[in-house]
Amino acid sequence: MSELIIILISAILVNNFVLVQFLGLCPFMGSSNKIETAIGMSAATTFVLTLASMVSYLVYQYLLVPLDITWLRTIAFIVVIAALVNFTEILMLKTSPLLHKVLGIFLPLITTNCAVLGVALLNINAGNSFVESAFYGFGAALGFSLVLVLFAALREKLNLADVPAPFQGPSIAMITAALMSLAFMGFTGLV
Amino acid sequence: MVPLMAPLIALLLIAIFFGVVLGFAAEKFKVTSSPLIEKINALLPQTQCAQCGYPGCKPYAEAISEGEAINLCPPGGEGTIIELANLLDMEPVKLNNQHRPEQESEEGPKVAVIREEECIGCTFCIQACPVDAILGGPQQMHSVIASECTGCELCVAPCPVDCIDMIALSQEPPKKLPEKSLSEQACIRCGLCVDVCPVDLLPQQLFWYSQGKAYEKAKQHRLMDCIECGLCHAVCPSHIPLVQYYQAAKSAIHEQTAKHQQAQKVRQRFEFREQRLAREAALAEKRRQARAELAQTKSRQSDLIQAALARAKNKQASTQDIQDGG
Repeated sequence: MSELIIILISAILVNNFVLVQFLGLCPFMGSSNKIETAIGMSAATTFVLTLASMVSYLVYQYLLVPLDITWLRTIAFIVVIAALVNFTEILMLKTSPLLHKVLGIFLPLITTNCAVLGVALLNINAGNSFVESAFYGFGAALGFSLVLVLFAALREKLNLADVPAPFQGPSIAMITAALMSLAFMGFTGLV
Repeated sequence: MVPLMAPLIALLLIAIFFGVVLGFAAEKFKVTSSPLIEKINALLPQTQCAQCGYPGCKPYAEAISEGEAINLCPPGGEGTIIELANLLDMEPVKLNNQHRPEQESEEGPKVAVIREEECIGCTFCIQACPVDAILGGPQQMHSVIASECTGCELCVAPCPVDCIDMIALSQEPPKKLPEKSLSEQACIRCGLCVDVCPVDLLPQQLFWYSQGKAYEKAKQHRLMDCIECGLCHAVCPSHIPLVQYYQAAKSAIHEQTAKHQQAQKVRQRFEFREQRLAREAALAEKRRQARAELAQTKSRQSDLIQAALARAKNKQASTQDIQDGG
């Protein structure tokens, strides 16, 4: 049990996918203008990431390994992730069309979110079991969500602040992200 | 050949499995109606003027939900663009006044006024008005109900004698954000204004929201409860005229709500007119059908008469033949 908690904490804080490993930066910058949007994006990514790490583990262990075609894992995982993203999109269109419209291209782009594929591949590399994979994926998703919502909150404040002209817009957002990344580096050595 | 079979089969299996799952999901979670269009429509000014290139506000709302630009609505102006951008999380863009480029966008609301002595009573403008705001009958003078006119100018073009003028409504100009004076410094977050506020507001937060035009947020922080006493301004070490910012924000909020109420009212009138037109069209169709039926029975009757006449004629001819032959 403590093993799983360590996996969770290390995925959320110590090895945060966005701010420490720099994966999944496009939705981090792209859908962080409003907190509501960021929460929606986090929920969608959490759903996809957790399920994807579980399903890709199953596909790898029970399909690719027996057939001895593990070199096919990247393509197989992409297929899994794409299907899950599609499923999420259908669900979201039904439950919250506004969020679907607001997220726009960033929703299908979860497919190519490097964090999602990264987690699936890292799970294989680390030789995690099924439960460990699930926790690792869930932790990575929680870390992503945490950082995205924090960043969105900061950007909402930034929109109102007196930013010097050369720094307005994306540049101040980049600087903010860099400072956040610095702060998260401080978690190194926690686990 | 053989080494390629396994991967092919594996990928095919995965693809088929997910294809089936997705197919089921698409069926189960089918979208029937979209509340998004209603939300967009509620933000549009409902003038039904078609200046966006769509036949009305609802069609434009549908087009926006499909990805049309949000800056095509001249009557809504900048305010509508900002609200739409907020709803859809987009960057506000400049107004695109494509269908009447010569007109200035920031002129304020207008109403149509008919020069009644020149009106010839042709009823063309009555038919053109999308909200039924013109009164009058054939051969009789028309006049516009000013409080219901949306200023869409759709009645101007059909008038054969050009007796309709668009007249700007005189309005109290909304309070603008104050000009930065030399004595005004940046906010240093000292919090003195918070201590002094008699109605326990957060003047510094309200200042940020008013300055950044985040009116929803300002309302959530109870901007409307501000009594404009001016104490926050008095204690501010940076000499920020805080109350002026609040006044500007409040007047913008009032303007916004008034606009929404007007839009609501106009939409009701427009929908009522649509209903009336549909009802009239249905009635006309019914009458037409009745007439057609009547004509059919009549023609059937006349057919019968014709046939009888022909028979009589034949009979006559044949008796004549017999008589001739005899």
